[in-house]
Amino acid sequence: MTARRAAVPADAAQLSVLNQFLRDFGSAVALDAAQVQTFELALEEIFLNIVMHGAQPGSTPLVEVSLDRAAESVTMTVEDDGPQFDPLSLPPPDVTASLAGRPVGGLGVFLVRNMMDTISYARVAGRNQLRMSKRLGG
Amino acid sequence: MNLQIEAMGDVTFVEPAGRLDFDAATGFQEALERTLGGAGKPPAAVIIDGTRLDYVSSAGLRAFLLAARSAQRAGIVFALCALQPAVREVFELSGFSRIIPVHADRASALAQAQQGRT
Repeated sequence: MTARRAAVPADAAQLSVLNQFLRDFGSAVALDAAQVQTFELALEEIFLNIVMHGAQPGSTPLVEVSLDRAAESVTMTVEDDGPQFDPLSLPPPDVTASLAGRPVGGLGVFLVRNMMDTISYARVAGRNQLRMSKRLGG
Repeated sequence: MNLQIEAMGDVTFVEPAGRLDFDAATGFQEALERTLGGAGKPPAAVIIDGTRLDYVSSAGLRAFLLAARSAQRAGIVFALCALQPAVREVFELSGFSRIIPVHADRASALAQAQQGRT
């Protein structure tokens, strides 16, 4: 198993740093471009949620991302020390609504849930912890 | 992200290249709004060619949604074509392929756009 970890402040400007981290991990453990992209999408959505929900006056949460490659799957864990927030508690968007009736937000977490095989949230020692994994191949 | 905008008669093709992520979404949306507004006479149809579009996140979907609404208000046909598999998956999962027409290629998008006007 190969694992890597990165930590950045919850600031949208850090997204490119996380993407580079993800791509480096992808090359190190021989993921294909489509697999890397699935995790890039998940990380963008989850990270931006933390940026939007986690900011408080005078304090920016720290976000830690760890990636684990096992034989058959990749697991990504995103932790932050911001206020308690479970993104999985958000109601799913109505994906059948008409063009005019479509809300402009709320799709990010929905996409992540649908692209990953497993996803779970826990509040651990004052930190939000979101863990998601996807099987490789098949 | 790079954008190539090409007017062919009263149909405008927009070909974004690269990643439509949070960083790129606002600029992309503004470019679409300018295209829909037209410098002078607005186009009859705006077709997004996804041949070189590698990645779309929910921030990118939002840009498409807002542009599709502007187009609808202005009576302009708005459609996508030639999406890469990963991008197509995002459009299908989100249900966006039900509210914004997605065609196989430029030719079929153009044929549909012209049919819509007759």
